[in-house]
Amino acid sequence: MYEAVHARPAGASTVARLAKTAADYGYEGVVVRNCADARAEYDPDGIRDEYDVDVVAGVEVRTDDPQEASGAVGNYRTDETIVAVSGGTTSMNRFAVENDKVDVLSHPMADDGDVNHVLAKAALENGVRLEFDLSRVLGEHGGGRVREIQGLRKLYEIVDHYGTPHVVSATPTSHLEFRAPRELAALGERIGLPGEFVEDGLAEWGRLAERNRRVQSESFIEPGVERGRYEEKH
Amino acid sequence: MKHLPKHLRPRWRYLAVALESWPDAEVGRRAFQRELWYAGQNLLGDPGSAAADLTVVRFAFADGTGHALVKVRRGETESARAALACIDEIDDSPVGIRVQGISGTIRAAEENYLGRGRQESEERNVVFGNEERVAVVRNGDGSADVRLPDESFAGATDLDYDLA
Repeated sequence: MYEAVHARPAGASTVARLAKTAADYGYEGVVVRNCADARAEYDPDGIRDEYDVDVVAGVEVRTDDPQEASGAVGNYRTDETIVAVSGGTTSMNRFAVENDKVDVLSHPMADDGDVNHVLAKAALENGVRLEFDLSRVLGEHGGGRVREIQGLRKLYEIVDHYGTPHVVSATPTSHLEFRAPRELAALGERIGLPGEFVEDGLAEWGRLAERNRRVQSESFIEPGVERGRYEEKH
Repeated sequence: MKHLPKHLRPRWRYLAVALESWPDAEVGRRAFQRELWYAGQNLLGDPGSAAADLTVVRFAFADGTGHALVKVRRGETESARAALACIDEIDDSPVGIRVQGISGTIRAAEENYLGRGRQESEERNVVFGNEERVAVVRNGDGSADVRLPDESFAGATDLDYDLA
């Protein structure tokens, strides 16, 4: 299972500390998805060797303008393993689910965001994972949390009906915000997301990283064209 | 009052919980118990928290790390896990919290999960991000919390700094 994190300078802890904590909490890897204006510097191989945790390079495109987002997604697609788009408005949610270069639509229900059957079907068609962000359920109280849970429940009902792919994350920005997979599954059960659904969503990050690494590796000549037995060896 | 016959006594499970915070955090047993009950009440409601119990029976915290044993009624351990996960700060200090294991007796929980000795930490001068800083380094596991100019901390490990 993987956790998607925001590291220093966007968060309070370095990638190495987050990776170390992830290992202690029973995760197999972390996806570093800092935004474009606060990129983290780190050495993925060194961290992997030291803590035995996979470190996946990623980015979260955060803007209100679909055109700008489209450019950013195109720029990052070749370099980053996982490209997420920060949702939360009608236009950005729609942009993300209609773009097959996007891997993950982050927190689609936050703020003014909403998801309906049209977006869920588009996400299914384009292979865009809808994210269940538990950070505000973990960190907020009262009315804000009630609305957050309502949003997640609604999203679950839609995703469950159409079989839209999904990811789950607690989105830690420091090593103190990590919560173990079993705790997140237990929390999910309390708020109407089945435990297996939560665990599956945490594991989905890993499957996504593995697929994208394969597609971006040398064995593909270009997207969709795999090196076969007729290619000459170099 | 005379105590209950054995078959009527409630069955308990004890959750061994690891706590972590920044080095300057002061987390007391009463504050932890209060936050735990708040979290239980907010997430599980009054009937749910009555069913779970959530009493802190052992507690220790110093230098940014600690542990606790939480007493829970048998069968309610998953709700207790969920409530524990929702504790994000205690007395305004953010805390990391993790269930290390569950046992049927306090003694077994202590022996199996809390036996590891306390980690000593010390202040060291380090070079972090090309600046000289003071870091609270935890001996033995490589974690370090680097003090920043605005009195906050950055979570780091020995991969991130050089000793000055």
